[in-house]
Amino acid sequence: MNLALIGLIAAPLLSALLSLVMKSQGSMERLQCVHAAVLLGTMSVVVTGAGGGAELTVGNFLRTDALGAFLDLMLAFVGATGLLYALGYMGEELIRGHLSLRRYGRFFCFLNLYLFAMLLAANLDNIALMWIAIEGSTLSAALLINFERTKTALEAGWKYIILSFVGIALALFGTVLVYYASEHVLGVRWEALQWSELHRVASDLNPTALELAFVFIVIGYGTKAGIAPMHTWLPDAHAEAPTPVSAMLSALMLNLALYAILRLKSIVDPAVGTDFTGPILLGLGLLSIATAATFMLIQRDYKRLFAYSSIEHIGIVLVGFGAGGPVGVFGGLFHMINHSLAKSTAFYAAGRVLLRYGHKNMEGVTGLLRQMPLVGGAMLLSTLALAGLPPFGLFVSEILIATGAYVEQPWVAYTFLGLLAVAFAALVYQVFRMVLGEPKEAGIIMTPGGNRFAAVSLMANLMAMGYIGIHMPGFLSDLFIPMTRIFNSVSHG
Amino acid sequence: MVIHPDIGSQLVNFCSALLLLTCFAIIAQRRLSACVDLFALQSVFLAVTAALVAFLTGAHHIYIAAALTVVIKAMILPRILKAVIERLNVTRELVLNINIPSSLLVCGALVILAFYITQPIISLGFLLTKDSLAIALAIVLIGFFTMIARKKAVTQVIGFLVIENGLFLGATAAAYGMPLIVELGVFFDVLVAGLIIGIYTHRLQDTFDSVDTTKLTALKE
Amino acid sequence: MIESVVITFVQAVVILAVSPFIVGLIRKVKARLQCRQGPGWLQPYYDLVKLFRKDVVASTHTSWIFTASPYIIFASTLAAVLLVPIFLSTVPLNFAGDVITVVYLLALGTFFLILAGLDAGSAFGGMGSSREAIVASLTEPAMILSIFAVGLTAGSTNLSTIVHKTALLQGIVTDPPPHLMALAALFIVTLAETGRVPVDNPATHLELTMIHEAMILEYSGRYLALVEWASAMKLLLFLTLISNIFAPWGIATEPEPVWMIFGVAVWLVKVSGLAVLIGVIESMFAKLRLFRVTDFLGLAFILSLLAIIFFYILRG
Repeated sequence: MNLALIGLIAAPLLSALLSLVMKSQGSMERLQCVHAAVLLGTMSVVVTGAGGGAELTVGNFLRTDALGAFLDLMLAFVGATGLLYALGYMGEELIRGHLSLRRYGRFFCFLNLYLFAMLLAANLDNIALMWIAIEGSTLSAALLINFERTKTALEAGWKYIILSFVGIALALFGTVLVYYASEHVLGVRWEALQWSELHRVASDLNPTALELAFVFIVIGYGTKAGIAPMHTWLPDAHAEAPTPVSAMLSALMLNLALYAILRLKSIVDPAVGTDFTGPILLGLGLLSIATAATFMLIQRDYKRLFAYSSIEHIGIVLVGFGAGGPVGVFGGLFHMINHSLAKSTAFYAAGRVLLRYGHKNMEGVTGLLRQMPLVGGAMLLSTLALAGLPPFGLFVSEILIATGAYVEQPWVAYTFLGLLAVAFAALVYQVFRMVLGEPKEAGIIMTPGGNRFAAVSLMANLMAMGYIGIHMPGFLSDLFIPMTRIFNSVSHG
Repeated sequence: MVIHPDIGSQLVNFCSALLLLTCFAIIAQRRLSACVDLFALQSVFLAVTAALVAFLTGAHHIYIAAALTVVIKAMILPRILKAVIERLNVTRELVLNINIPSSLLVCGALVILAFYITQPIISLGFLLTKDSLAIALAIVLIGFFTMIARKKAVTQVIGFLVIENGLFLGATAAAYGMPLIVELGVFFDVLVAGLIIGIYTHRLQDTFDSVDTTKLTALKE
Repeated sequence: MIESVVITFVQAVVILAVSPFIVGLIRKVKARLQCRQGPGWLQPYYDLVKLFRKDVVASTHTSWIFTASPYIIFASTLAAVLLVPIFLSTVPLNFAGDVITVVYLLALGTFFLILAGLDAGSAFGGMGSSREAIVASLTEPAMILSIFAVGLTAGSTNLSTIVHKTALLQGIVTDPPPHLMALAALFIVTLAETGRVPVDNPATHLELTMIHEAMILEYSGRYLALVEWASAMKLLLFLTLISNIFAPWGIATEPEPVWMIFGVAVWLVKVSGLAVLIGVIESMFAKLRLFRVTDFLGLAFILSLLAIIFFYILRG
């Protein structure tokens, strides 16, 4: 069991090192395909192992409970499809001569390191080591966002660096405060930083210190999660980064940052009561949805459009957790995985459009369904999913969250649904203009190799999205039951 | 040799207060290279504080952290920054978003705020570092403010490093230091972050012919 | 009674005797840092003796203010010095006034210095006076506030009480964060009030930058000697304030002769140390532009204000 966990985390690191010595595009493609297969294989072992409330551990360092396995599921699945997609995307750039083989290799090295840092962060049992791993993902993302080295990419990268470094520094201060509170109960020991121990003694911890820590960590990791008003880096970074990176930022990193906040919430709630964390998350969530919905209306750039949609969905998850209760928490978690799948699909499609037309202006993009049926179809379906229409999982989770919010505070539910309607209109209106109609520009015809990789990743994502939307698979429900228990063991107390 | 805990606590508080004072000096400083020097000085004070805590508590791993602070933050990073300043030919005077007296007033308010926030939990901590947690928070906030109030990329880096210093002081004060592996990881991250920011500053200079971050205005909405 | 008179007299003599030495020490440190031999240790004393022997030349345009000012400046500074504990924590004259009296005695000296600078009607004098007025108006609040910050802990504005109580306390610094801020503020005030780099440069007569030297440009002979001696005493007074308010270790708390002699020795070490520090600072830093001086003094004001607020909000 433990070997699978180690394999899951070690695979990206190993692949990152190997990427640097690959001599041709073909060998890189083989390497990353094997890597993706290893990720999926080890992940399925980990997820089944952690189902039903069991815990996987490796010494004192790694511990995977249901929540960790849930993250692993998202990271490994979207990570694997993202790798395949990146092979198609960067391969196209390589063939067009936009980048050298050396930089092609380096891209995959950074991307794998990024994946490694995130997988590590999701499985570490130590709150401070988790911070280090998240910082590691920030650093590798900083290199990826600026990978294309244009003026605007540089600007986006700089904004990202400054905001997220400051954010992450504040999160470290929050971590220090948690340690400050826990060492009083657990002593100055390694155990005082362990999630498992913190969870055990949570109700004995000093409430004021934890409240303070929570505020710092919400601001800190919230910056990375793109929660308004700390979101300003997010649209720029998503628009300017190479598209596979945008997909991974949206689908994985935002969720990882949320995960860190939620973990802390599960410690803070028993000590302070849900009345403290709930309103903070609710308020930030509603603000994020409102901000995103407003800006989505006026976007001209389709990657920025999807970036703002990510802010909206992070806000929805926050509202779910802020409302609390089993329904809200379940809704929030279910929303995370569905958004992760739908948003990565949307970005994969957007990346193909970008490769074809060479610009990100929505005015110039029409008739995608006719010109690129698969890409256009995927964009249409993922947009419908993101807009919250049945039969996709996001419909279910939004209903659940609204219900959860209604139980707590009816006005929150009304505001929530009102804002969702605005976001729905903005997204559907903008994307329909791109997907339907007659094509305007011919664009550049793409190579079949790239198309193949894109097709596989798009289909895999769409199928997974449809699958969990229509019926909850057993391995997933095995994770959800213990996860909701983590958050509801003491709430309403 | 045993030092009376009262005197030990006063020494630690004294050293942390010195760190806070250097923050004010950085805010009041207009010359870029002097800011870097002050940051190096602050890092030395930080190392002294950490070494004092290590000596007084017998937590020997803090010595290693203190030594790393001197090497990385007082020697390597200031050199890199100075090299960047020299090579980029940055004009010596800073560009301020907020003038110095108002900046100082804001920082004063931040210090009060930091002490006010941490007041309820100070009693939790050890006697040895009564004020250090509050001072650490104050330094973090002032570093934060420096990043907002100064325009040049290099000053924003200094602000970030000041925040890091505050965090390290906080970790030392709150808990007599985190476990060693955590400290090492944090140091590694800071070093890599410094390098990445250095790379970015270069690219900014190459692309925009300036490190004035107010020129980054293409991306809006 | 007699004891008090004797102690006061000794204190005056000590200050008068030591102050030129401190000025000489700073010059010596600067010379050494510039790899020069520098003038001998006794040079400031020789200067004073020489000036007292020389005749006075006064412009025919000057009024009585020009003649009276050196005496007023000298007397007010000496009076201020007698209120400051030097080697004994409770000075016999402490009933005569507290820190506000000290500040205003010094302000009286500054006021007459400014008037004297204007009186001769020369362009430089007027320029120096207006600059001094700016500096003085900014430093005085910072000075009072920084001493108050310590006074709050001791519960008094009387310098003797402050020093006495602090000296009796255990430990090194009573309350590090606010006191260190107040100390930094008082140090900046010292540099500004005594015309040191980076506010003023005592070693130059460069007309565009000078402040203190511009005001006393018209003075000669014994008048100049008195003004120079008074400014040396003022420097020593500030150094004494810094060392005895913030670190009164070794000061005699009872009027025992042995302890007082020990107190003088410790005090000499402390003020010499500060003088060396000032010498090093003067060698390391350049003078600030005049418009930047306000920033520098603003720092002192804010630090001292912060120290006070700190005390009221968090320690009160």
